[in-house]
Amino acid sequence: MSFTEPKDLSRRQLLRAAGATAATAGAVMAFPAIAQSKKFGGVKLRGAAYQHGFFNHLKKYIPEFEAATGITVDLQLSAFPVYNQQADLELSSGGSAWDFCNVTFIFAARWVAAGLLQDLDTFSRDTKYTPASWSPDDFVKGAQLPYMDAAGKTYGYAWEGGAMLMGISRMDLMKKYNLKPPTTFEELGKVAEAMHGKDDMAGFVSSNLHHWYLPPYMQGFGGDVFANPPGDITPTLTTSAAVEAVDFYTRLLSKYSPQGVLSYTEDQARAALIGGRANINIHSSSWVTSMLTAPESKVKETALVMRMPAGPKGDFPASNSQGLGIPKNAKNKEAAWEFIKWALSPEITTRIVKDTGHSSICRRAVISGADHKRVNTINGQDLSKLYLEVLEQPGKTRNYMAYRTVKEFPVVSDVLNKAVERVVSGQMKAAESMKVAQDAAVDALRRTGARV
Amino acid sequence: MTTTRYKRPGHVAAWAVPLLLFVMLLPFLWLLQMSFKPTPMILEFPPRLLFMPTVEHYVGLWQGGFPESFVNSLITSGVSTLMALVIGVPAAYALSRWSGRGRFGLGLSILLTRMAPPIAFTIPFFLAYRYLGLLDTRTGLILIYMTFNLPLVIWMMQPFFDAVPASLEEAALMDGAGFPTVFAEIVLPMVSAGIAATAILCFLYAWNDFFFALILTRTDARTAPVAVVNFMNYEGWEWGKIAAGGSLVMAPVLLFSLMVRRYLVSGLTAGAVKG
Amino acid sequence: MPATPALSYEAQRRRFTRMAIAPSLLFLLLVAGLPTAFLLVTSLTPGSLVNPGSLTDFREPLANYQNLVTDKRFHETLWVQARLSLYTVVLQVLLGTGMALLVHSGQDRWQSLRHLFVIPMVLPPIVVAVIWKLIYTPDISPIFHTAKALGFMLPAFTSHADFALAAIVVADTWEWAPFTYLMVLAALQNLPGEYVEAARMDGANALRVFQHIVLPYIAPVLMVCTLFRLIDSIKAFPLIFLITGGGPGSVTEVTNYYAYLLAFNYGELGYSSAVTVVLLSITVVISWLAMRLNRNISHQD
Repeated sequence: MSFTEPKDLSRRQLLRAAGATAATAGAVMAFPAIAQSKKFGGVKLRGAAYQHGFFNHLKKYIPEFEAATGITVDLQLSAFPVYNQQADLELSSGGSAWDFCNVTFIFAARWVAAGLLQDLDTFSRDTKYTPASWSPDDFVKGAQLPYMDAAGKTYGYAWEGGAMLMGISRMDLMKKYNLKPPTTFEELGKVAEAMHGKDDMAGFVSSNLHHWYLPPYMQGFGGDVFANPPGDITPTLTTSAAVEAVDFYTRLLSKYSPQGVLSYTEDQARAALIGGRANINIHSSSWVTSMLTAPESKVKETALVMRMPAGPKGDFPASNSQGLGIPKNAKNKEAAWEFIKWALSPEITTRIVKDTGHSSICRRAVISGADHKRVNTINGQDLSKLYLEVLEQPGKTRNYMAYRTVKEFPVVSDVLNKAVERVVSGQMKAAESMKVAQDAAVDALRRTGARV
Repeated sequence: MTTTRYKRPGHVAAWAVPLLLFVMLLPFLWLLQMSFKPTPMILEFPPRLLFMPTVEHYVGLWQGGFPESFVNSLITSGVSTLMALVIGVPAAYALSRWSGRGRFGLGLSILLTRMAPPIAFTIPFFLAYRYLGLLDTRTGLILIYMTFNLPLVIWMMQPFFDAVPASLEEAALMDGAGFPTVFAEIVLPMVSAGIAATAILCFLYAWNDFFFALILTRTDARTAPVAVVNFMNYEGWEWGKIAAGGSLVMAPVLLFSLMVRRYLVSGLTAGAVKG
Repeated sequence: MPATPALSYEAQRRRFTRMAIAPSLLFLLLVAGLPTAFLLVTSLTPGSLVNPGSLTDFREPLANYQNLVTDKRFHETLWVQARLSLYTVVLQVLLGTGMALLVHSGQDRWQSLRHLFVIPMVLPPIVVAVIWKLIYTPDISPIFHTAKALGFMLPAFTSHADFALAAIVVADTWEWAPFTYLMVLAALQNLPGEYVEAARMDGANALRVFQHIVLPYIAPVLMVCTLFRLIDSIKAFPLIFLITGGGPGSVTEVTNYYAYLLAFNYGELGYSSAVTVVLLSITVVISWLAMRLNRNISHQD
């Protein structure tokens, strides 16, 4: 009558129960496959995306998919800039080398508007291909916006949501100097200035994607990138709000950021933040929350993640997403949909959150679920709630992310980058730089045939 | 003619040359040592000069799709060099013996093909390859490498053929040999040094190409130089791997160049100075 | 019958040479001539990858070139290109010549080392770009750490408007100085020793010897080097692609890089072709000059 017997018994019971659950889960997951009984047996899918933690996690589960459906999946990952350029060329030239691919947010509007992607509603809303339980409407609206055309058709499903949040790495120092976390732009400027140089730390840090960081300030001061996107795409880069925004943002970069910040990649900015070498970084949640989750983070105990400050004219935190889509001329569209359906299914999404803690996924049901909340409550901070809030913001107020859905945005984004670089490197003042930017944007837009 | 060096009065510091060499090669040596340093030590300062070298970066490379890119580089460079030699050496000979008038014009057009900015060819080639299905194939790269290898062969070999007197050929011809035989058995052996030098240079230029491979390949035919750039990871610049990748990519051409260093000098000077 | 064999040799030779050069000419016509023509044609269209049909739209053939005249960004790139070419060529020639003189004067002792100087030149340009990108990254570069340890802050060169171009120039000079070095060294090795000895015996010191004997001798080589390097400098790509991306702003954006952005980032193939045609024309003019000079030099020998 060993003391451990009851434990053994219950452990065995637990194991049995777990086994049963796993079998059921597996059965649920394999449901689409069973229903089709390997009709895609022997198909080889070729897909491409950029290197991201999500795909590393997904790759571990792919053998299950292959076993269940008979499809072989060849997923090629490349570095972000390399992938983007090749994908843009591949899709623009109507290639059929890929069956599914990542729809990068900067290019989503361009690809959708140019008809380079397959309309996924034909698959997702047809019970012949997709069971109702897959619920395409479960994807957070804000994350899906870039993949929808004017008529509301869907060309991509989001696997990654970027909700712009503010990360403060040294709350202990802030308390020491009696500083409260900023809630307005003005306060942000003051806090950055006050903390700059303390303990060998920069007050602020950013990276070279200014076309992503700048618009919230432009909108917060009352301006926008275009006059009334997506209809009227006249650039509005010389309004006083725009100039004020550039002035503010460039001041943060030139006065309170580490040296060489203009050439920082996102990773370098993140490294500075989690190493405690910079105090504030405003970027997508998956970058900022690494202060709390990354193993090499030195600021786990002193970090705070919160909503970014609001401007005098409103609160417009940017949100973006990355999606999976099917190129227009793909050879194995139905099989490709099988893969996307599986990869973004509620079951796989839940598993990824549970098994790996990776939580920048886009299904509302999963985000509101217990696992997501558990994984994302760190040091008493409910990151889950913040993430969802920002992603849903464009749906609530006006769709202020509409500028992203303009297909010519890549050209204007380059113009914005250069404008900020010119000011921070001291070549021009904000007003002059934005005037140059406006001219360049109008020129470039006209060359693409747009009427501005 | 005695080739005496003109000596400066001796004491331009006895060690100036190796010192200058060391300074000039510092950046290259730094990359090399970084490829063997364990990751945490890479960001250390002052940099540790004595450390336990590790091959973890090279091992990591080998598992990440790098070998395929290496093979692609080898094949595209090797085959394009071979083809350029086969077609170009006889052409260089022909140009050398050309008695007609178009020699300058011909030479200029050949030089131009070598000197044009790559983008001049990439746009038409990209569109053509898209149509022909040659994008992301080794054949596609080999073809476009010929645009600079072939002119290089002709440009380089011509002076070597110039140096072979026509009287030699005539002597053999008088003995009844046909022209092809004369060419293959008399003329070619005399320019073998030039062929070796040219072959190495062709291989080098093809191997080092970045632009064409960047635009015309995706993943199947990706070459080593593009693969190195691929390490610029979305979630982190893996310094060790980048250094290892760079070191690997430069290894073959370094080796070859040093092997034929004698010919490198004569190859370049024969081409440019004696045009 | 002495005349007949000579004629038949000539005829044989002519036939052989024609056959020998035909494949090359054909091939070059196909892979170089045709694309160039294609490029010219494309430059007359508003060709864009996302607009099917735009590649054959000849309604406004000169539109691209008219846009070029008013495109301020394009003019900027020409100016940046001119400055980059000037600085790199001058510095490369100076440094390369200096290296050659030094190595040549220490000839016997450092025989085996002299070939190692060519290493920067044979490295893949993208690897050179990686090396220098690392050198210019404040976080990791020993240069910045050393400066900090010595007490002063170095600006981040590649994000500083005043220093970005200089950063590229330094990297480029490092990479290509060996080219001039090789040429000049070879020329020096052929310099007849008698002239130098004669001058020495007349009492000339090293500087006079250099000025009046060596320099005129290597001048033709320097000229050729300069022209070749000038043409090659127009093709500068990997350094700018990796180290500055044309920035900050547009201070390191050369014409070649602008054409690349237009074609492969914005998809404006037509406009990019027009820019490339301009670039090509400049290359043609300089190459023609180089060949003329080369021919003159070889005639003088």
